[in-house]
Amino acid sequence: MSQAETLTTTPQATADLKSIETSQTFFQIVYSQFKEHKAAVVGAYLILFFVLVAVFAPAIEWATGTDSDSQNVFNRYKPPFSKIVASQDVRENQIQTFIQANPTDAAAIQQQLLEKNLVQPIRPEDALYDWVNLEKSKAISVIQSLDTSKKDQLVKMVNNFQSFHLFGTDELGRDVLMRLVYGTRVSIGVGILVALASAVIGLIIGSLAGYYGGVIDTILMRLTDSLLSLPTLPVLVVIAAIDLKKVLGGLVEFANSWFGATAGNFTQEIVNSIFSGGKESIYKLVFILCLFSWMTVARLIRGAILSLREREFILASKTLGATDFTIIVRHMFPNVIAPLLVSVTLGVGDSILFEAALSYLGLGIQPPMPSWGNMLFNAQELIYQAPFLAILPGVLIFLVVVSFNFLGDGLQDAIDPKTVRR
Amino acid sequence: MTTYILRRLVQTLMVIVILSYVCFSLMTLMPGDPVELMISANPKITQEDVVRLRAFYGLDQPTYVRYFNWVGEIAKGDLGYSRTYRIPVTEMMGPSLKATFVLSMGSLIFSILIGVPLGIYCALKPNSKMDYVVNMFNFGGISLPSFFLGIVLIIIFSVGLGWLPAGGYQTTGMHYDSWFAEMLDKAKYLILPILSLSVQSIGRFSRFARSAMVEAMRNDFIRTARAKGMSEKVVIWKHGFRNALIPLITIVAISFSSVFSGALITESLFAYPGVGRLIYTSIIGNDFNVAMISFIISIAMVLVMNLVADLLYGAADPRISYK
Repeated sequence: MSQAETLTTTPQATADLKSIETSQTFFQIVYSQFKEHKAAVVGAYLILFFVLVAVFAPAIEWATGTDSDSQNVFNRYKPPFSKIVASQDVRENQIQTFIQANPTDAAAIQQQLLEKNLVQPIRPEDALYDWVNLEKSKAISVIQSLDTSKKDQLVKMVNNFQSFHLFGTDELGRDVLMRLVYGTRVSIGVGILVALASAVIGLIIGSLAGYYGGVIDTILMRLTDSLLSLPTLPVLVVIAAIDLKKVLGGLVEFANSWFGATAGNFTQEIVNSIFSGGKESIYKLVFILCLFSWMTVARLIRGAILSLREREFILASKTLGATDFTIIVRHMFPNVIAPLLVSVTLGVGDSILFEAALSYLGLGIQPPMPSWGNMLFNAQELIYQAPFLAILPGVLIFLVVVSFNFLGDGLQDAIDPKTVRR
Repeated sequence: MTTYILRRLVQTLMVIVILSYVCFSLMTLMPGDPVELMISANPKITQEDVVRLRAFYGLDQPTYVRYFNWVGEIAKGDLGYSRTYRIPVTEMMGPSLKATFVLSMGSLIFSILIGVPLGIYCALKPNSKMDYVVNMFNFGGISLPSFFLGIVLIIIFSVGLGWLPAGGYQTTGMHYDSWFAEMLDKAKYLILPILSLSVQSIGRFSRFARSAMVEAMRNDFIRTARAKGMSEKVVIWKHGFRNALIPLITIVAISFSSVFSGALITESLFAYPGVGRLIYTSIIGNDFNVAMISFIISIAMVLVMNLVADLLYGAADPRISYK
């Protein structure tokens, strides 16, 4: 081969050659493998979509002008795509209660309405009643131009008079779309939180059992196996039924008697803050689900650490005098991250299913906070009047769980080439 | 072998005892003990009455004392009364255990009959169109919440078409002329619950059957068997399937636990009078005696099934010896 021939190769070919010659990093390989699994890619996009919905729930609320909590008993079980316009007497009733509740504000608004000639009532005291009967966008622009502290309340009132419900309304006349959007927050939030927390617990227990072996291993693995062999739902039902106030009350007493009054007061404050947000059912659920979902991770990690323990680089770091902590955290954890990731992804799907199951039984997320599970719980008694109420949350649970399962499967194939379907 | 079984039995028993204690103390943490319920039922009750009642029921004692009293009663054969139904717990357990057993076993057998052949078929024809479709179905099945499927089935078959009853155990007030008519009537009520309970395990069995069979067919002895000129039927069933059976038995046996646990939600949805529903309703209704007994019996059932599974495992794989 002559020198001239090599020189005439195009720059493109050189670049191609270079890209072949440079070694790919682990994550580049995983990524290119992952892209082959079409269902997993679709799943990843779906998950991204739902996470975005969950994060931007308030923005969606603002954009649609409906919220997840306002009830409207006159418009229950509306089918999807229904537009609700309140009748004149409903509007006038509401403005009357507003005037009675805030007479001074109402008088000020009335004055401004008349001064700026925004409404032309027959009698001056009817100004607010005339305003409330205006078309929605006009009524809002009018109230925005006024100077009053009750602006938000009035805008909300007008918003409720005329609303569009993409997915209809539920048994209390609440907007199903907004409840589903906020339910996404709860369901995906609980799922991810539980999966991450149980990964941490499993990582700790699995690595302790695998690294130290002996009695520690026997005890921890017996515990893991016994917990794994239990029928999950009955156990979860029994634990979910306990009264959080009794447990935390006991905790406060315990802190009081053992660590003195300051510790008692401190615990009491924490307990109060847990109950103040109305979110105690979420904390309880996450805690309970964590208790029963770390076992598979622990077994996985134990197996991985058992085989890592025999490798030369561990021996090397031991010889160099590394502590057990350093060996486990610095040298072993990076090697188990890949299988852990798969297990966490699959765990999210399972946690969402269990959250939905418990909420469906009425023992999980408590109303009025919406979650897909408790929406199904409410809807199951109404399958004759409003079957669509039961379909929507169920379809969303299914979509999210199937996406996480596909994502986990795709990651598994990408990370561990031995399991690729051939 | 005998020592192995004995050791496992003792272990199982220990788990049950520990769990029963944990469960007992959890029950004390649930809202509303018997006396609190009496207080809410009777506004005229005085403080002295409350104290006297608490002492009478032994509620003023610490949890472990109450636990041992309770175990003592059980050892004497007294399981206590149900507060909701006003009948002895012993009378309630038999029928509900039977009902749950029929439901779980029916579902397990149904899912094995559907799932395993599907998985084997896909393993023998990997990457075919059928394989792809079944794989999609499996993922769908694993991810489908059984209660949602149950609601959809009710909407379609009971509300929409009116073919099958939406829930229950048998037609009320029915007089059966023969055992066959009785069975037929009860079977009608079982179809929807079994369907909704099975979908998840069908998906799981089919996936495991596929991977176990693919694994088994890769062995060298399969090639040897083919080289010897054996018929494909013998190669697949006698050499391949026999080896795929070992991991399959494990997963089927482990599934008994999950089918049993799923039965709780299916029974509640279809108002089917099994143990799962009994656990749920008794816990919701503060019926502690029933809740404790049904919980412990169902856990014991699952643990014993796991033990049976381990023994079966040895029967299927002669390489495994019990120490």
